[in-house]
Amino acid sequence: MTARLFVLDVPENVPIVEIARGYPGVSLEKVGPYFVLAAESNVTVDRRSTGVRHAVWYSWVGGLEGWQIEQWDRDAFRLVPR
Amino acid sequence: MSELSAKHLVSGVDHAAFPTFDPVATVRFYRDTLGFPVVHSICAAGWGPDDHPDFIHFFFDIGNDDRIAFFYYFGLEAPETSRGKGDVYARFGSDTPEFFVRSRHIALHVNSEEHLLEYRRRLDASDWPVEMQIQHETIESIYTHDPNGYFFEITRALRPVTPQEDLDANLTIDALVDILQQPGASMDALLVRKAELIMERAENWQDEQEAERELIPSPEGPVRR
Repeated sequence: MTARLFVLDVPENVPIVEIARGYPGVSLEKVGPYFVLAAESNVTVDRRSTGVRHAVWYSWVGGLEGWQIEQWDRDAFRLVPR
Repeated sequence: MSELSAKHLVSGVDHAAFPTFDPVATVRFYRDTLGFPVVHSICAAGWGPDDHPDFIHFFFDIGNDDRIAFFYYFGLEAPETSRGKGDVYARFGSDTPEFFVRSRHIALHVNSEEHLLEYRRRLDASDWPVEMQIQHETIESIYTHDPNGYFFEITRALRPVTPQEDLDANLTIDALVDILQQPGASMDALLVRKAELIMERAENWQDEQEAERELIPSPEGPVRR
């Protein structure tokens, strides 16, 4: 089953979305003002590759469908199927 | 139902009031250091069933016609502040986490970096220098504690709030209210519920925003372009 992550479209979140959409198997759509990152399997976003700082890194996630968050710390954000 | 019943009618902070046991330092901080004018004060004899002391209620202008106000009660003993954390109104044990103690604070707004740095300059030249200056992607703030121990912030926005952030805030709060109907609420439950609300409401919101942008003003009110 495809799992989806929703991210509000504001300038600060764009670098993270740009990195995540480039991962194999990840697709990007839009629902209203939200980016929707979708994939069939685990996804791990490396914080340093996004270049964002703490205030954005720890608040960029808007909604979860089919995934749960396994890791969300200074190194990475990791999603696994629910 | 009157025509007012669905309107947002308030217009800012009339005053936020705090007790002080040190009006001299409070005046030095707010009036002489920050330059907030004294705009009102009341000298009142104590009255009522509660053995109310005589008091002075005094107000400083914090811009926008809003005010911060203090009560000084003659003869009321100040709390012991040499141990623990907090301010003269609320004291906490020394094991209380700092994030919790700091969660209640007042933040005043400025419109530019130049204005923020001017307040930084005034505070740094006083007995209450800036303790932290924090900038992240959307805001920049300076912080200190006033003479009463109240945590005090001056902040500026690095960009205007976008309309979609208002939508997002409403979805967050609706999701929070929903999940708190069940025990064991967590960030996970919130994000799952919020995803459902996004699917229900985000497309419509976008359509409404676009329809609004199509409207042009006319003498009879907005009309479609």
